Amino acid sequence: MNATACYFVNAMAAENTEIARGLRRRDSDLLDQLIEKYQHRLLRYLLHLTGRRELAEDFFQETWIRVLERGSQYDGRHEFSAWLFTIARNLVIDHLRRKRPASLDSLAGADDAIPSDIPATGQLSAFDATVQREQKEQISAGMQHIAVEYRETLVLRFQEGMSLEEIATLTGTPLGTVKSRIYRGLSALEPWVKGAR
Amino acid sequence: MNTDLINSDPHERARLMISLSGPEDVSSRERSWLAAHLGSCPSCREFAESTGESIRLLRGVPITASARLISMTQLRVRQRALELQRQQERFWVICACSAAVTLCSAVTTALLWRGFAWMGQQARFPALVWEGGFVLIYLMPALLVGILLLARGTFLADHNRSYQDWSSY
Repeated sequence: MNATACYFVNAMAAENTEIARGLRRRDSDLLDQLIEKYQHRLLRYLLHLTGRRELAEDFFQETWIRVLERGSQYDGRHEFSAWLFTIARNLVIDHLRRKRPASLDSLAGADDAIPSDIPATGQLSAFDATVQREQKEQISAGMQHIAVEYRETLVLRFQEGMSLEEIATLTGTPLGTVKSRIYRGLSALEPWVKGAR
Repeated sequence: MNTDLINSDPHERARLMISLSGPEDVSSRERSWLAAHLGSCPSCREFAESTGESIRLLRGVPITASARLISMTQLRVRQRALELQRQQERFWVICACSAAVTLCSAVTTALLWRGFAWMGQQARFPALVWEGGFVLIYLMPALLVGILLLARGTFLADHNRSYQDWSSY
């Protein structure tokens, strides 16, 4: 490991330790900062998990309440984002269990397409912007039509940039299953991508 | 990733490698093999292009949280933090009260017992009577609190008050 990588690893470890300390104190200012820092990532994950914006927003708030209540359980030895996503995931699963005995699979095929917030960009021509918007809408629609366990794995891998091992830990599945879900998920998305071209 | 790919057919192997194409997951030897395979296999090359496009699009889907959601979440978290802080304070008050009551009862029980024995002797009551009186007086506060708590759950409770009203306390 070179010096720069070592520096970043140490800085991240120090940050996680600081977060763990703040959560034990139930530091509201720290929580405000964390909510702002992880807002888009957490909402995106929940949105892909539930497929519904209103539900995802409810879970978003509940997740942070749970973080406050159970903050003392975070030891700072692991990445905070992984712990945060685990809490969010468990909340969704608990919600589904209360409704009916189920796993994440029952969220598959949620009809509501995820509304993506595609910003208007001044650098692209109107044609390019339209094409880009259509492509992104197409991929969002495709994501809603693949099985939720594939969707979740793809989001964690390609949007959150998590390693295969981190995904395996977070989802509680073997590494081989994670690899297979990525492969199958991307294969399932292929027709949608072709449609977007 | 090598072990579970060794025995699969070359196309399957290539597609798996393309899907898991994080820099930490594929060795340089595997990359060379993949490049050679893609050079000779149009269907895997098409899969690679399509996968690359999927990943690019996935990374580019912008989903943002609204400012309203963030401020509402921050407000709810702060309110809950305050509630938890109050609960914690109440917990310590209850602990301190319990400790004080235990200490007082440890000191006063012996005195009260002697007082009841003296009064029993003066009034020439049988031992069973003043001992029964002592037990009754000793348990009276706990009995009263028990009755009040039970009553609170029945006719003293205000059934018109919703959960939301309680949460504002």
